[in-house]
Amino acid sequence: MGPGYEGVYVVGTGQTTYEKKTDKPVQRLIWEASNLALRSAGLGFRDVDGLGVTAFTLGPDNVTTMTEHMGLTCRWLFQGLYGGASGVSGMLQAARAIQHGDAEVVVIVAADAFDVTSHMNMSRNPGQHDYMGPWGYGAANGIFAMHTRLYMKEFGATREDFGRLCIAQRENAMLNPNALLRTRMGMEDYLNARPVADPLRLFDCVLPCCGADAVVLASEAVARRLDVPLIRILGGGEVHNHPADDIYRFSAGWETFAGRMWNTAGLGPRDMDFVQLYDDYPLMEFVQLEGMGFAPRGGAGTLIRDNDCTVRGTLPINTGGGQLSAGQCGASGGMIGVYEAVTQLRHEAGDRQVPDARHGVVAGYGQVSYGRGLSASACVLGRE
Amino acid sequence: MANDLKPMPRLTSINRPFFEACNAGELRLQRCTACAKHVYFPRVCCPHCGGGALEWVAVSGRGTIRTHTLVRRPQHPSFFPEAPYHVLAVTLEEGPLMYSRLAGEAPEDADLIGRKVRVTFSQEAPGQKLPFFELA
Ligand SMILES: [Zn+2]
Repeated sequence: MGPGYEGVYVVGTGQTTYEKKTDKPVQRLIWEASNLALRSAGLGFRDVDGLGVTAFTLGPDNVTTMTEHMGLTCRWLFQGLYGGASGVSGMLQAARAIQHGDAEVVVIVAADAFDVTSHMNMSRNPGQHDYMGPWGYGAANGIFAMHTRLYMKEFGATREDFGRLCIAQRENAMLNPNALLRTRMGMEDYLNARPVADPLRLFDCVLPCCGADAVVLASEAVARRLDVPLIRILGGGEVHNHPADDIYRFSAGWETFAGRMWNTAGLGPRDMDFVQLYDDYPLMEFVQLEGMGFAPRGGAGTLIRDNDCTVRGTLPINTGGGQLSAGQCGASGGMIGVYEAVTQLRHEAGDRQVPDARHGVVAGYGQVSYGRGLSASACVLGRE
Repeated sequence: MANDLKPMPRLTSINRPFFEACNAGELRLQRCTACAKHVYFPRVCCPHCGGGALEWVAVSGRGTIRTHTLVRRPQHPSFFPEAPYHVLAVTLEEGPLMYSRLAGEAPEDADLIGRKVRVTFSQEAPGQKLPFFELA
């Protein structure tokens, strides 16, 4: 079997309402998104024989007890432990299982009932908790402020460079009824927002919220029976703890698999109708664009300046507003791009539809530990 | 009120020598007896060569600021009274990167990247001193 994902189709996707607060437990959000995704495929829970779940706030439940909760009997399970890289990673691993006959219909879902308080109380890995926390490091904001400052100094990037991307995403969010931040943002609003951890200000940081996103993958035999657009995984990859010896190389490793991903897809960055990036901070979007070959190292600012990144533009990025403007439902931050990509390829994105979208790329990033996220993933999706 | 107490490290058999040395005013790191590289944060094995024999050694306490941020909105409320303050990523002379805080004053908009620093110790909790760094 080659590096591709032949014989596997993405047949459904679903997203709950994004809310700043909710009384719903995370298990309910997982069910809601899974149910929406299965319905969009014309399938039901009785068809499911594989489940992948990622949720920071799920414990002491886990993917196995979720099968019990939802009454599923599964042959294949995945629990995402790669933070925001888990959505894409789970899809790729599910696709391999389906290719080999270990499952036929798999739901990959991520969710969290996250507000600012639960964000603060979340249990953190030793890298952050023991070797950064006692120094008042400012959590993820502090970590990515340090990356952003060094990147700006090394490559001459400006606040305006990051602002252009954040503003384009806000324009996309204004067309997305499920986005939490839908008021127009100008450059002055971006530049003068409340400072958080220099050089980051408020609109460089995501809004923690509650919700869930899901996709359904199925074997070709199942997919051909369904009345849905056929979407394939054309290529993909993941890598963890790269580079092992340097936190500050502006890389989490996308460049280690991007060449293989594009070769397998038979496509390149210029063939993409849209790009869904993991936007915990705009700096990381720059790093992903550079790692996946959209721009040379240090060149993402120029790329953004030379393109219109709205859904009507030349390089649509985070077409639903992304985590920066739609909201970050905890671990579902790693699935919002998957949901958005599949919705675009199904041509169901309403006012924010990228005209005749055929191909797109989705990146994931997560498991922030000592000074950086450890996990990177990406995949190319295409409509047949 | 719990929010007044700073978050402290979870002491384990692996990291206790580091934090105990801090209380004695000494910066000690692990060093791999196989490849001779220094290791931080404390590990159960050497991340450079995979070896399992690490010894604790005193280090110079000198380093260079790789990058930094001025934290204005700390996550933990115990740090609110001290904000804003400079959080540093320091490349120690012996190799490892250590996250810490600036001891002493610097302008809010200071560019500290590349500045030389030396360790000092700050009593951050009744039972725990932590390494901070001052401009050399
Ligand atoms: Zn070694």
